[in-house]
Amino acid sequence: MTLELKIGWLYPTLMSTYGDRGNVIAIQQRAQWRGINVEVIPFDVNSHPDSIHQIDVMAGGGAQDRQQEIVMRDLAGAKAEAIKAKLDAGAPGVFTCGSPQLLGRFYEPGLGERIEGMGIIDLESKHPGIDVPRCTGNVVFEITAKRLAAELTELLGGKKPIIVGFENHGGRTYLGPNAEALGTVIKGFGNNATDGTEGAFYRNAIATYSHGPLIPKNPFIADWMIETALRDKYQTEIKLAPLDDSLADRARAAMLKRLDVN
Amino acid sequence: MQINLLDRVRLGIAVFAAKTITATIRTFKLGAASVLPGTIGKRLHPQILAMLSQQIKYGVIIVAGTNGKTTTSLLLRDILEKDGWKVVHNEAGANLVNGLITTLLEKTSLTGKLKADYGILEVDENVIPLVIPQLKPKYVIALNLFRDQLDRYGEVDTITYRWGKAIAELDCDTILVTNGDDPALAHLGQQLAKGDKPKQVKYFGLSEPELYLDEIPHAVDSIYCPSCGTALEYKGVYLSHQGDFDCPKCDFTKSKLSIDSREWPQVLIGVYNKYNTLAAVTTMESIGISKPVILNAISNFQAAFGRSEEIFYNGKKVRILLTKNPASMNETIRAVSQVNKAGGSSVSLMILNDRTPDGTDVSWIWDVDTEKFVNAGGTIVVSGDRVYDMALRLEYSKTNPDIGCDIIVKEDLKDAIDTALALTAIDEILHVIPTYSAMLDVREILTGKKIL
Repeated sequence: MTLELKIGWLYPTLMSTYGDRGNVIAIQQRAQWRGINVEVIPFDVNSHPDSIHQIDVMAGGGAQDRQQEIVMRDLAGAKAEAIKAKLDAGAPGVFTCGSPQLLGRFYEPGLGERIEGMGIIDLESKHPGIDVPRCTGNVVFEITAKRLAAELTELLGGKKPIIVGFENHGGRTYLGPNAEALGTVIKGFGNNATDGTEGAFYRNAIATYSHGPLIPKNPFIADWMIETALRDKYQTEIKLAPLDDSLADRARAAMLKRLDVN
Repeated sequence: MQINLLDRVRLGIAVFAAKTITATIRTFKLGAASVLPGTIGKRLHPQILAMLSQQIKYGVIIVAGTNGKTTTSLLLRDILEKDGWKVVHNEAGANLVNGLITTLLEKTSLTGKLKADYGILEVDENVIPLVIPQLKPKYVIALNLFRDQLDRYGEVDTITYRWGKAIAELDCDTILVTNGDDPALAHLGQQLAKGDKPKQVKYFGLSEPELYLDEIPHAVDSIYCPSCGTALEYKGVYLSHQGDFDCPKCDFTKSKLSIDSREWPQVLIGVYNKYNTLAAVTTMESIGISKPVILNAISNFQAAFGRSEEIFYNGKKVRILLTKNPASMNETIRAVSQVNKAGGSSVSLMILNDRTPDGTDVSWIWDVDTEKFVNAGGTIVVSGDRVYDMALRLEYSKTNPDIGCDIIVKEDLKDAIDTALALTAIDEILHVIPTYSAMLDVREILTGKKIL
């Protein structure tokens, strides 16, 4: 039987500011290299809310302010409900850059009105003002969200899941009591440059400021998403064949060395 | 411009101090002195940019845009000089305020007198609103606006707005030469042509549908109507978001172009250089330079450093094509692929650095349609500070299993150049595609000397 994977890409033309489509490309290629049939389905202004149900994994990126506004207007109501239902049902998702702000309760931009989020994750984001420097630079963090860390460590043969990426955000994100942090910052700013947390993990959704983009240099994230989605879809244990990830390993090693992380 | 005595004295002191700095830096070989003298001059006389630029007889031509500033400026200068005019030009590419002042100081006498017919100043997109009131330009050329170095700059939308505001407030008879194929810049022109102080606007663009791209590239910025926000409809796209567009909802549409692109040859290679050529031609025709002089300058044009510049090295021809952002890399890949297809080359060297002038965030390479390049086959040697990130992007671009593309990773730049050249046949050209700081490094290795 040929396995099939459907990747839902949230607003590809509106939310893809910092090479975020690299996450979609990497999930797609890594599935195809394992002989899985892949279809990438845009979920955007033209989509019906119900079309989310055919999706196995979800990916969303960042947007410029004007585009983010169009997205939020379009998401309000039925589409936000559909995404929430899908994530609640355990669909794996990767939300990078501005996307985590969208999943939270609200975002207060540096200029202009508060933007209401989808309220899926208990977090809020605030911009401290346009004169306060942005959190920009290479970032390294360890995934510490309990279940995810355990599953990734197993997938990595016992190694700790360390993420190497790049962050560039003006807004600061603060997790509420009902949110679990994705990881702990080793180098960089993370959610708010103060409490050492980075991102959030909800059901099987990964929300992070780390772009770079995230997955090509941290390919185990893609493999975990694919395995998790297919296990649920086909109700059977899926074990992906290993790929040659030496380029990603060397890209990670080069950055870890530069940042003096052992 | 009338300058009163006190100002004249202060200007003289500022000029003298700045020129002394230049001489000191050069005598002791401390650098190219392309910015510091301007910094000192401005300290001593805050209005120095206005006082110097307004002595230029026929005024300043500002060249603005994300890509193509240096090439367009150089072509403008060639044309004007061939026509016999004296030109002051920031050829070293120092395009922030202090760099502009330094350029003008170079041509200023110790008594503060600047003798030039035209000033050609390429200006950084973010500095435009700041310098326009002081330079009171005769021409502003708006080449294009693309996503570039988001770690350093804001968004494309806000930049257009700020340009428009600065130009609209000018009293003088400024003429805007804008890209009519770029929705945001065409809209800018239409807005400036009306209002309290309407400006004369000229539009350049292409009229060659055979150059339409098969599809809109991923890395596009403004495909929404700048007037009403509706998605624009395109009959065809020439480059990124530039093309033949129309708004299905409101009355926003293209303005009539002032030039027929079929009537003009281009400098260098690539569709992007067609646009640069047309921008220069439109401006020069408006000034009144004759067609034969313009054609002569186009056919004798020598590339600016790193901008499609050709260098002979160890008996082989190398062409360096600076890339700075998704739009320029997409277009460079397109131009190189055309040469490859025609059999003129088969090896490319891509170099990705992440130093400050390159932008420290390299995620933009994932917005480039590198699939087109890799799926055309051939050999790509990769190097630079972020060699593995670039190699990874190319590996993930292999979407056609029937076509092989050799990707060779070389951390060391000299090693990468030697490897790429060894693989290049004697009758072929090696294309080098570097980011800014990588371009300077490559030139230094190929020519044996530093330029900046």
